[in-house]
Order: sequence, then C-alpha cells, then structure tokens
Amino acid sequence: MADSISYFLMAWLDPSLLMLTAIGTLAGIYVGAIPGLSVTMATSILISFTFSWDVNDALALIVGIYTGGVYGGSRTAILLNIPGAPSSVATSFDGYPLAQKGEAGQAIGLSTVMSVIGGLIGVAVLASVAPFLSDMALKFAPRDYFLIAALGLLLVGSLAAESLSRGIFAAAMGAVIGLVGLDQVTADPRFTMGSMQLMGGIHYVVVMIGMFGVAEALSQLHQINAKPVRQKVDKIIPSLHLVLKFLPLSIRTSVIGVIVGALPGTGGDIASLFAYDHAKRSVKNPSRPFGKGAYEGLVAPETANNAAVGGAYVPMLTLGMPGDAVTAIIIGALVIHGLDPGPMLMIQAPHIFWFTVGNLVLANIFLLIFGLTGIKVFAKVVELPKAILIPLILVLCVVGSYSLNSSMTEVYWMLGFGLLGYFMKIFRFQMGPVILGVILGPLMDKTYRQAMSSVGNDTGSFLLALVTNPLSLILTTAVVLLLLSNTPLKRLLQRRRQT
Amino acid sequence: MSNEQQLKAGERAFNMLLLLLSLGVLYEAYQIAGFDLPNSPGAFPMLLGVIMTASMVAILWGQRQHPKPGTQGVLDEARQFLHEHFPLAIIIFSAMAIAYLFLLEFLGFIPATAIFLFVSQVYLRHGRLLTSLIITAVATGVIYALFKLLFQVYLP
Repeated sequence: MADSISYFLMAWLDPSLLMLTAIGTLAGIYVGAIPGLSVTMATSILISFTFSWDVNDALALIVGIYTGGVYGGSRTAILLNIPGAPSSVATSFDGYPLAQKGEAGQAIGLSTVMSVIGGLIGVAVLASVAPFLSDMALKFAPRDYFLIAALGLLLVGSLAAESLSRGIFAAAMGAVIGLVGLDQVTADPRFTMGSMQLMGGIHYVVVMIGMFGVAEALSQLHQINAKPVRQKVDKIIPSLHLVLKFLPLSIRTSVIGVIVGALPGTGGDIASLFAYDHAKRSVKNPSRPFGKGAYEGLVAPETANNAAVGGAYVPMLTLGMPGDAVTAIIIGALVIHGLDPGPMLMIQAPHIFWFTVGNLVLANIFLLIFGLTGIKVFAKVVELPKAILIPLILVLCVVGSYSLNSSMTEVYWMLGFGLLGYFMKIFRFQMGPVILGVILGPLMDKTYRQAMSSVGNDTGSFLLALVTNPLSLILTTAVVLLLLSNTPLKRLLQRRRQT
Repeated sequence: MSNEQQLKAGERAFNMLLLLLSLGVLYEAYQIAGFDLPNSPGAFPMLLGVIMTASMVAILWGQRQHPKPGTQGVLDEARQFLHEHFPLAIIIFSAMAIAYLFLLEFLGFIPATAIFLFVSQVYLRHGRLLTSLIITAVATGVIYALFKLLFQVYLP
C-alpha cells in the first residue's frame, strides 16, 4: 500500500515529471483544438522522440497530451463548429449553437469542469478495477486473448467504420502489416517478398505517422482557404449551481464513457456519441431542445470522452490490449522501454500502474487550470492558417519517422502509408482499425498458435475449447453475436418481428 | 446503412485494387508454409488473407446496385477523380514533399527544411514573402533546437 502511494505521488513530487505532465496537458489542449492536428497524430509523432528517454518521462508527457488532447477538441467544436478531435464530434451538436447564442464562454467553462469530472471518474475506475482484472487475466488462456483481440477488432470495425466489411478489411490489412518480417518463433520470413529491408518488419509508428499525419495533412489541403469564424468568449468559470445541476447526468455518462473506453478497440469518439444518445433519451426536460444549445448535450459527450481515457487504460495495462488508437501507441512505447503490458505488468513493474494513475489525476488537475485560463491566447492559436500548419506537420512527420532508425527508408515508408491512408479516407475506410490491427495482429498470431499448440494442433479440440470453457464461451458468443448483428440476418429477423 | 450511397469516381477501381491486394496477401501467406500444421507461421496470415478477400468481395457485392458516379467512360471518371481528390494544391504540395525528401539527402536537414517550408508557404499562402521568410526561420530554428538539442534525436 505504501509503495502504491509513493508510486502514485511520483509525478506529483518530482519537478521534472510535474513539468512534463503540465507541458503535455497544455500541448494536448492545443493539439486537440487545432483542426488538422489530432491527439493520435501528435502521440504517434512524439513517441518516436521519447524512445531514448526514461520511461516515466515519456509516460508523463504522453498522459498529459492524451488527457489534454481529448478535451482540446471540444474547444473548436464549440467555437468554430469544427471538432478538433473525433471524440468531440458530439460536442459540436449543442456546443456550437450555444456559441451562436453568445454563451461560448459558459459552454467552454462547463465542458472543462465536466471533462475533469469525467476524467477523474475514469481514473477512479481504472485504479479500482484494473488490479482485480489483472489478477483474473493471469488465468486467461491464449485462446481467450485471441478472442478478446478479435472482439476488439470487430468492435472497432463495426462502430468506427461505415460498414463491418470495411472495418474488418482495414483491421485485417493492419494485422498483415504488423506481421511483416521474420516470424519470432521459426524465423520464417512473412510478407517480405524477398526484401532484406522488410526482414526487420515495418515499424508501427511509421504506419501511424503516415496514416494519421500525412494522410490528414493531405485531406486538410482541401480546406486550405477556409476562414476561421470568431466568437465572443467571456464568463468562462461556471457557477457551482450549474455544475451541481448537471452532476447526476455527468456521473451517468462517465460510467458509459469508462465502459465504452474499456472495450478493446473503442475510445472517446464512440463513447461520446453513446453518451449523447443516452442524454437525448434520458433527459426529459433539457435546458433547450437537443441540437439547439442544450447544456445536457454538451455535458454528456464531454464527460464521456474524458472518462473513456481512464477506461482505455484498463485493457491496456491489464491485458496488453489497446483501448483505442492512442493506447495502442502507448503499448508500443512500453514494449520499446522493455516493459510487458498485460497481467504481468502489475507483478513485474507495479510502479508503472500506480505512476500512470497518479499521472492521470495530475493531468486532470492541470486540465482544469489550463482549461479555465488563457482563452484569449488560445483563440489566436486555433486561428493559425492551415497554409502554415500543413508544411510544419509534414516536417514533423519526417523528423518523427527518421528518428526511429536514423534511416530515410522509414521516411519513404511513412510517405507511402500516408498516400495509402489518403486514398482510404477518400473511399471511406477508417484508419483506426488499421492501427489496431497493426498492434493486435502479432498478438493474435502468437496467441492463436499457442492455443493451437496447447491442443496438439487439433482444430476440432480448439473449436471445442471455444465453447466448453466458460470465459471462452462468453467471448465466443460475443464475437458471434457481433458478427450476426452486422449481417442481413438481423434485418431479416427485425422485419419478421414487425410483420 | 450505405445502400443508397452513390459510388465515388474511382471507388470501384480502388476496391478492385484492394481485392487484388487481398489475393496477393493470400498467395504470399500460402508461400510461407503452405497448408502445413494449424500452428505454422503461415496459418494466421492465411486466415487474414481469406478475411481480407471475403471482406472486399462483400464490399464489392454490396456496391453492385449503388448508383454509379455520373461520368461517361473510364477517362471521364479518372478526370473527375483527379479533379475531386487531387486538386492542384495537393499535387504541387505532394511534389514539394517528395522534392523535400530528396533535398534532405543532398543538403541536410536545416537547408532542406528551410527551403521546403519557405517555398510551400509562399505557394499555399499565395505570396507573402516576408512573413513566410520569418515563419520559416523561426520554425526551422525551433524544430532544430527542440529535437536536436532538447530531445536529442538524430535529424535527417
């Protein structure tokens, strides 16, 4: 217990870690707020620079950026009707109408406080649930890990993409990219096409920088001449009465956020949409009609997306499964720092868990401070023309990918993935499933082969184990139901029930 | 879902390319270990190849009744695709980005980055030489100081 507290307070008492968390949170707010920059893009570029750092320093900065970035998107959603991040799409539904009514300051203030409440609830759940889940996870068989990863990919495929087929295709393509290189067990080359340079595999950060950085920059070039809309911002700090009025809703939507965030593969974007939908259904007398400036429509997504941050850390730290694209990046960073995210992390490096929890609380405190101050400077920064921003993004992408191996090969790969990502965006394929596939592909390959080996390579026994073991049965049922719910069979059944 | 959605110019061609890619993945996966043991290094990659192929077939099948883009012939569709998704700004900026990568190898980080930032900003901001020059100098300096001196990473 004493150890846990000292790990928890590590970032609070070390000035450099305190500073890094503060810088990360502030930078995250701006990164999340500037349309064209995203927290995933920033984390994937930044991660390559932190490989040589001490792991605590790297984690402190990333936690700050993640927390700040998820919140930051709400600012431009309210002020400009342009969600700075996917998790702020739902915020713009009522946030922008509020700004149009001259209540931008109040909306920003309330969204800040609610984000912090959601964030802290998410951390509380992480701190209380993760240790138990981690103990349970030690009893999971390889086939269970395989099923959880498959469930995660299916979830992100069905929720994030336009159709399940597109999501599954993107995830499987990501998994293939993740498998490129020598097989870690037999040293057989896989998808290397005889190239020596591919023997070492394709670094996941290169894929991320390309798909989230370059592809996004190219997309942003379509709106190069868009003029920013200015809003009047005053009275930022919300009254206690207003906060207390929306507290019950914020607690409910925080729970939604944590649960959705904790599902492998889903994150703040989906959580906020679920929460908005919940608010619409459950609030009988909103302050204004939803979509026309209802404070409830602002509170629900803002608490949920920040609560999802804590939730996303749960599967990452306990199962080694990313909760969303950012935690997928963090998993890679932990591995590079010699750590093993998953149930063994709590045993081998318990300080990482409690350090992360303490750091998340700290980042939320900084979020409250930075969120309620400096709004005038902020308004200027988000108006930064894209003509200046886009070339800078490209330079950062080049520096980030080059620094991985000090090689131009990575830079060319990054550019190639950027172009592929741009094409995929045009034709409505999502990047999220690709990235999760890159991270989860090797894990699925490993666990599938372990599971097969454990039943003596007997496919029948493997399939039988999927339905005879209680946990495997639950997971298999979830996978099958998810698949069926996305097939014409469901529509057929619904039609029959109606007639 | 997206049953009524009109196909974008070039969408069918792109999906066909992805189907070819999926078949390529399947072939490459088979080359790893053939139909060997279920836990062979090629087993899971083959499964992925099958999933990719099946998904693309499902996507193409689902799109067979979608309204086609209002173009006449392949050339017209290609022209519309380029017009919609590769406007001049994207083509020129992409060319500048590739030139930047070549310049990095010949000139090194600082001169290549300064040239790229200056030229691209002058183009994207329709002139404004002086402010572009100032922004270029400041941005190059900050990036160099931040990454080389503070983060201590290797720059190209």
